[in-house]
Amino acid sequence: MQRREAGSRTGLGARRRVAAGKSCSLGEGVSIAPLVPCQRSRGWTSPAPRRGGAAASRHRAGKLGPGRSGSGAGRRGPGAGSSAGRARPGRTRAPGSGPPRGRRGVARRGLISSSAGAAHLEPVRRTPRPPASMPPRLQPPPASGTGRPRAAVLPLALLLSLALQGVAAAPAGAGEPEDSLRRQDPELPRGLLEQAARAALHFVNFRAGSPSTLRVLADVLEGRARVNPKKECQVDLVFTTDRYNPEEGEERLGKCSARVFFRNQKPRPAINVTCTRLIEKNKRQQEDYLLYKHMKQLKTPLDVVSIPDSHGHIDPSLRPIWDLAFLGGSYVMWEKTTQFLHYYMAQLSSVNQWKTNDDAIDFDYTVLLHEFSTQEIKNKALVPLKFPSFCPLILTVHS
Amino acid sequence: MALRVPLTHVRGKTLLGSPAVRKASQHQVLRISAADEAQVQKVKELEDLEHLQLDFWRGPGQPGSPIDVRVPFPSIQAVKAFLEAHGLGYTIMIEDVQSLLDEEQEQMFAFQARSRSTDTFNYATYHTLEEIYGFMDLLVAEHPQLVSKLQIGNTYEGRPIYVLKFSTGGNNRPAIWIDTGIHSREWVTQASGVWFAKKITQDYGQDLTLTAILDSMDIFLEIVTNPDGFAFTHSKNRMWRKTRSLTPGSSCVGVDPNRNWDAGFGMPGASSNPCTDTYRGKFANSEVEVKSIVDFVKSHGNIKAFVSIHSYSQLLLYPYGYKAEPAPNRDELDQLAKSAVTALASLYGTKFKYGSIIKTIYQASGSTIDWTYSQGIKYSFTFELRDTGRYGFLLPASQIVPTAQETWLALRTIMEYTLNHPY
Repeated sequence: MQRREAGSRTGLGARRRVAAGKSCSLGEGVSIAPLVPCQRSRGWTSPAPRRGGAAASRHRAGKLGPGRSGSGAGRRGPGAGSSAGRARPGRTRAPGSGPPRGRRGVARRGLISSSAGAAHLEPVRRTPRPPASMPPRLQPPPASGTGRPRAAVLPLALLLSLALQGVAAAPAGAGEPEDSLRRQDPELPRGLLEQAARAALHFVNFRAGSPSTLRVLADVLEGRARVNPKKECQVDLVFTTDRYNPEEGEERLGKCSARVFFRNQKPRPAINVTCTRLIEKNKRQQEDYLLYKHMKQLKTPLDVVSIPDSHGHIDPSLRPIWDLAFLGGSYVMWEKTTQFLHYYMAQLSSVNQWKTNDDAIDFDYTVLLHEFSTQEIKNKALVPLKFPSFCPLILTVHS
Repeated sequence: MALRVPLTHVRGKTLLGSPAVRKASQHQVLRISAADEAQVQKVKELEDLEHLQLDFWRGPGQPGSPIDVRVPFPSIQAVKAFLEAHGLGYTIMIEDVQSLLDEEQEQMFAFQARSRSTDTFNYATYHTLEEIYGFMDLLVAEHPQLVSKLQIGNTYEGRPIYVLKFSTGGNNRPAIWIDTGIHSREWVTQASGVWFAKKITQDYGQDLTLTAILDSMDIFLEIVTNPDGFAFTHSKNRMWRKTRSLTPGSSCVGVDPNRNWDAGFGMPGASSNPCTDTYRGKFANSEVEVKSIVDFVKSHGNIKAFVSIHSYSQLLLYPYGYKAEPAPNRDELDQLAKSAVTALASLYGTKFKYGSIIKTIYQASGSTIDWTYSQGIKYSFTFELRDTGRYGFLLPASQIVPTAQETWLALRTIMEYTLNHPY
């Protein structure tokens, strides 16, 4: 799959290809080319914001560019997930070096590193407030000792197990923990932690590029938010996830840690996120392949008006379309999310499937996004989504 | 007994049960033309011959105006002979009435989604406005001692606005109000409202709590709070939220009925742009759908708990939405909300968050429960039902009943608390 650069990002017919390098065509029979991360950086990091670059602020040193995690001035310690690099001696920085080898479920305390080595992150307050009133919910874990890892490169860390030590998890109760945090800083938008989690998840979903491992937010376990004088907002958090498409009786809770940086009222938050793996890679590939086969069998042209229909029903044969649309829609939703606006995919209002010369499935569709807090239903056309490439190809176009 | 079953009436009626329909095989309907007064008199003579068992659908009147009569089979020969003998012209309008009636019956019952009782009504599917209104009538007919239907106004487009009243007597008893469907696209709420209505009639006399509640209090339930919007979601736009009122000076339609109340109206938390989904309207209570409830609440004067039901997000909210200052009995509301969501979760594990509107979701001005609270209704709550975004408004119908069941437990908790804390 060649790499093609985009024209204008938002112009009609503009395409953005996030894929690079490696051939992503389907192998013969059932074996499928291994999933490769499609950017040079490991882990998932959002591309540098287009407008104006990352602003420097007294809370961060250096730009928040691709593969870099912001680290606070005077603070030792990585951003979310970056410390996992320390546990992976096998990682190199060569691109396309293949999937991570040897899942050592290490980096126990490192992984959920929003607090690892980090000083207690305090919300920025205009008026100082005695810390004693707030029980510290995040204990800085024992010093990791090896100092700050290289900020640039984060491994694509898909760990099997995870143990949190020295990090207090806040009870995921009836919406109370964030409440107490926010009570102390009325400038922070409501539900900021959930907001950040959702943004991170949109990012995770489209970057993973697999309709079989789509995630939704389960609970925010803990988090911290800071606002700088420019009203930019950095959120570090840990949250659990569910599979978007849970199988019968299955309960897979994944866990992610993320650093999300919202620019003031501007979309496309910068995201550094690491998640535990939800399902085995092989299983995921199999499921993706099944989905692909399923879609190949659908008759073109599709005779579909909307998915789901008014009664919330999605014909099982059309379910893969919805999942793929959610995958593509995740990109759009990430792109539009700010600290004040978030989205859910409400409906596919039109789907067109195209015949292709190769084995790929190619279709374009229009998603309706439900926007909070305005309640508007926004119409977004996505053109087209090719699958399976295993390199996420999200092509976003006109509204 | 002559059965007068004009076709037009059969088409529109909502029957509670099947009326006895005499077998009409091979009856014919004749249209007689009487040219002058003398001929009209002759037809009237026919009318008097009772043994013929004629059924005049359109009786003799002025000369020239047609006379329609249904003639049973045994009389056909005689009637035709009479008409011919007196020079009265006629045509056969309907050859065989019965098959027509059969068809009509079928159609009518089909049209009703075939529910002739609330026991055969399908609660696990979404219904149209007509079907829900039909359901209400059925319920009232089945439980006349407990349920009555009130009309509190008409919508912008002229549809009636109905409220069901559940009462075991008394006079202006302290009451609980529940409304669903104020935002028309939130279909699981109207569907749940239908289920609640049935549930109340089932549980009275069976469930101790509900029986105790209804023995001292009344329950008002407005199932379709935004009928125009609801009809629109069926006919044109499934995602329609607002009313369907026209705004002078704008080509955009509709006002957000949950921003139109007189509480913090005009403050941040609603839009002044008629084209947006949170448009507050030109002034508070501009929407007749809102004003009707306002008038009802004020004139009733004895409502003690007010619950307005929305979807989605899985939240239980209390005032305020328009300001950050906590409500005076905030702690009590918080405790009650906690009990309610605990009860809700006990059934299927569905997790709800709770808190004040402004702290839990966002600032919203002109919202329903901020107004009702300002009227002294201490226990004012808003629900946001399932789900949390996977399906959103398009919640699969299979989730209607579980949603209603679990929500009912929360409602019951609130109602019971209100009963036990009179004020």
